[in-house]
Amino acid sequence: MSSSNAAVEVENMTKVFPLGLRKGSVIAVDSLSLRVEAGEVYGLIGPNGSGKSTTMKVVLGLMAPSKGSAKVFGLDSGDIQARNEIGFLPENPYFYRHLTGEETIRFYGKLCGMRGAELSARTKELLRLVDLESAANRRLAGYSKGMLQRIGLAQSLVQKPRLVILDEPTAGVDPVGSRQIRDLILRLRDEGYTVFLCSHLLAQVQEVCDRVGILFRGKMRREGTLDELVAVEGRTSLTLDSVSPELLAEIHELAAAKGVSVLSEERPRTSLEQLFIQLAESEGETRS
Amino acid sequence: MSSSPPTEKADSRVQTRHVPLFSLGRVLTITSGTVTQLFRMKVFYFLFAFALVMVAAGNFSLPATPAQELSTIKKVSFGTMDLFAWLFSIVATALLIPRDQEDRTLYTILAKPVRRIEYLLGKLGGVLCVVGLSLLVMGTICAITVGFRESLLVSEEIGAMQADGHFAPDEVNQQIDLIRHQGLRPELALVVLAYFFKAAVVAAVTLLLSTIASSSLFTIIVSILVFLIGNAHALATGFWLQESGNSWVVRIVVKVVKVLIPDFQIFAFSEGIVQGEVVPYWLVGEMGLITVGYLLVFLLLSLLVFVDKEF
Repeated sequence: MSSSNAAVEVENMTKVFPLGLRKGSVIAVDSLSLRVEAGEVYGLIGPNGSGKSTTMKVVLGLMAPSKGSAKVFGLDSGDIQARNEIGFLPENPYFYRHLTGEETIRFYGKLCGMRGAELSARTKELLRLVDLESAANRRLAGYSKGMLQRIGLAQSLVQKPRLVILDEPTAGVDPVGSRQIRDLILRLRDEGYTVFLCSHLLAQVQEVCDRVGILFRGKMRREGTLDELVAVEGRTSLTLDSVSPELLAEIHELAAAKGVSVLSEERPRTSLEQLFIQLAESEGETRS
Repeated sequence: MSSSPPTEKADSRVQTRHVPLFSLGRVLTITSGTVTQLFRMKVFYFLFAFALVMVAAGNFSLPATPAQELSTIKKVSFGTMDLFAWLFSIVATALLIPRDQEDRTLYTILAKPVRRIEYLLGKLGGVLCVVGLSLLVMGTICAITVGFRESLLVSEEIGAMQADGHFAPDEVNQQIDLIRHQGLRPELALVVLAYFFKAAVVAAVTLLLSTIASSSLFTIIVSILVFLIGNAHALATGFWLQESGNSWVVRIVVKVVKVLIPDFQIFAFSEGIVQGEVVPYWLVGEMGLITVGYLLVFLLLSLLVFVDKEF
């Protein structure tokens, strides 16, 4: 793929934080190189303190790298022109709690140079996208965590950036809210946005990301597509519907005759999250 | 949902919006956001406290001449207005940047195409708008209180002198002039302007401190200290610099402090106006220019600290 298709290009980037006199320094990110292609959802995962947020802040231009470079659509991340291309949702955002949802989007739109009919239309469009039309005139102080994340996502998209950076977008959000945000991320991908996602919630990353980078102690340990990273070499699993005990016995016999070991046999289970969502949805239907 | 590949759709959304070197629109957006924030934080509640002080001052019944009584009411009213203006200026400014940082609102603002000078100017502009508005309200309350008391005292004095029957009309007029001299005069508007100048310089100093510090409390305490030193340093530096027994180290420290901390005593001309003195207009203009100078210097220093600050 050509370099012009890269939404984010981090090359050999190191970030060192001085700890004060006689305390030395700490290397938050160490010679990191990564590339996020335009139109993909890239997940950067790692434990707390692994350098995810620092990497994100360097890409956003909120921090300068100690060594190496970070580019956004070919522009240096410190270049203010690059901010036009970026939408950012920080972890646990509060925004101005005295503003309403609509005022919040308009505020960020004006910061991007939007005015008048263009801004009004975009504000309505985004409120609809994040399903907050009914709460548009409520102050953010009265929003739930999930609503705050969604209004945060809306403000990040206000100037129609090509790249959306999300830092722990579902931190502290309940499973229903989490699912809504996941659906929004998938929708953004379908609409052609590039999404750069930082999270330590592995299940969420697995659900939405095309490619994943795993960061530990500031270094990139593994990187690739989900299939590449999670496939177990040389093993295959089958899920059969309404299988009889006799057929199951035959399969075991066949496998043994061919010298193949059956390593596990279990009933597929739903996840606790799936179960919770199903119950919440059926509860909602009953009430309506 | 269209079926075109994502990259193609992403490229079709390429923005050509140019980011200018400086945008007054972005500054005004942050200014109006700050004003709304301070309004909705109900910071104007302190005006009720001011109104209470005014009601109390307006009802002073002092064993003095009417002119002295008016002079005292003015001193209390304008002194309270001065105190409220600079204190409010410090607290409001000190709350803004550290709070934006704590709430991560600063990240979302600086992640947009906003230059850091625009952010600082917007925040300072917001505080100055609110301080200016508060001073207008306080000035109006003061004017009503002093004007009401003045008319009351004038009518009482005329009544008393006429009832006495021993005073010639000239004597009555002279006495009334004395009272009016301490009453509501247009020059008092210059006092409000002087308080605004002082509060603006205080806000600029606090802004610089808030870019260095990360806590509002620290910023407030240090700003108050700076303000107190700034009010006393003309006196203090005179003493320290003229005292021959002081070492060269003390002299250098004093000179550095003199350069770094604004001399708030330069705004003391307003006290003269309150006491009925006549102050030339050019002096007010000069104070305005000095205020602009201080604002530019402290904004520049704030920018130097803030421009490379990492969050």
